[in-house]
Amino acid sequence: MSEYAIEVRDLCIQYRGLKAFSIKQNLFGRKEKKADVVEAVKNLSFQVKKGEILGIIGRNGSGKSTLLRAIAGIFSPNSGSIDLHGNSVSLLAIGVGFQKELSGRENIMLSGLLLGFTEKQIVEHMEEIIEFSELGKFIDAPVRTYSSGMYSKLAFSITAILESDIMLIDEVLSVGDTRFKKKSYKKMKELIADRDRTVVIVSHDLKAVSDLCTRILWINDGEFVMEGETKPVLAEYEKRMG
Amino acid sequence: MIKRFLNDIKKYYRFSVVSAKSQLKSEVAGSYLNWIWWVLDPLCFMLIYTFIFGYVFNSKEQYFPVYIFIGLTMWDFFNKNLQGSVKLIKNSKSIVSKVYFPKYVLLMTKMWVNLFKMMVSFGIVVIMMLLFRIPISWNILFCLPILLILMLFTFGCSCFLMHYGVYVQDLANVLVIVLRMVFYLTGIFYNVEKRIPQWGPALNRYNPVAFLITGMRKSLIYGETPEWTFLLLWLGVSLLLVVLGIRKIYKEENSYVKSI
Repeated sequence: MSEYAIEVRDLCIQYRGLKAFSIKQNLFGRKEKKADVVEAVKNLSFQVKKGEILGIIGRNGSGKSTLLRAIAGIFSPNSGSIDLHGNSVSLLAIGVGFQKELSGRENIMLSGLLLGFTEKQIVEHMEEIIEFSELGKFIDAPVRTYSSGMYSKLAFSITAILESDIMLIDEVLSVGDTRFKKKSYKKMKELIADRDRTVVIVSHDLKAVSDLCTRILWINDGEFVMEGETKPVLAEYEKRMG
Repeated sequence: MIKRFLNDIKKYYRFSVVSAKSQLKSEVAGSYLNWIWWVLDPLCFMLIYTFIFGYVFNSKEQYFPVYIFIGLTMWDFFNKNLQGSVKLIKNSKSIVSKVYFPKYVLLMTKMWVNLFKMMVSFGIVVIMMLLFRIPISWNILFCLPILLILMLFTFGCSCFLMHYGVYVQDLANVLVIVLRMVFYLTGIFYNVEKRIPQWGPALNRYNPVAFLITGMRKSLIYGETPEWTFLLLWLGVSLLLVVLGIRKIYKEENSYVKSI
């Protein structure tokens, strides 16, 4: 095994604003507008060591989430490469498409399978997930009857308990009511503290970032600004943003 | 690509099955009588077509209701899968933008759902065959390869429709028109070969859905053997479509999220 868990080389990701077109527009003359290309990530290269906790900070729209999605394999890079050295990866984001008519329990099974776990693994963790989510008897009620808090609790519990080698966390450091917030934050810390787990966190919560991360990557407009130990980077960031 | 495909199938096959089951379940969840519509829907259309074409237009096909019912059942499967696949990626945005999975898994899920409904319909076909006392021959075994080819062909077409459905906004509108035309040319409720003597035989062979439906009727009702050469031809074409479709999806699936 290589000592790096994630290696990103010269990564570029572009969005083309107007890629979809309609036949009607093409038929009736209106020239298709030239698609404006938005470069979300420009020439980023960095490595994350195994067991490291990397925080990514930057303004809204600076390409942080796009970067996470690319690492998760949801986006393909336009150029450059991302090497995960065969580690399993999951993106922790609220609500992996639940089916509204089905019960919480069935949704756990579906989401788990979608995340690439086997039925056996999911069944083994089922009770743990239900317990952590604190849904109690509601777990067998259809998800459409859930309150938004319950919904996010369930979503968090699924991704937090079905673990993978690399965890990507996109602004979900706290969900639910105050008590569950504390609990999920604690669980998150516990997950992150695991020596073998590599974690990448995107957040605007600087306190949480400085609390959790061992290294910080600061990007602006998809470009690399600064990278290094948590404290100096955060100090510089606050100075410039403040 | 083949290795990747096999790995992915192994990994996501269960998801597609469980997901299909839950989709069927949520259809029934609204009211427990919903599943009756899976039966009533084709049954009513069969009665309508039997009345209009059997009585008003005086069709003289033997076992006409069964004849229509087989056509409708298979057409419904094809039609529903194709129409469903166009907007599939957009409708599954919530999961497509959160996790990676090979996108044709969505198609597989859709196909299991429709396959289940088709099997319910075929159950009725069997009952009708008993009621009409249709003599059975060994040719009945041809229904299996015919169903297999229908599934492969549908899947292949769906792959491409799903792919272009992401980029072409009004593909659904065009598809409805095209499918309607194919529907009438397929001879669901009339015998193409008798009504259009000049073009009929060709239409029945080079239109895969018509060929498969005719083949199914031959094997189930009339105890005849479908044409081997065309059976093999369409099997080959379907396999090719499936391979090309899956390759296309593998190549492009990661840019879908950017345009929805």
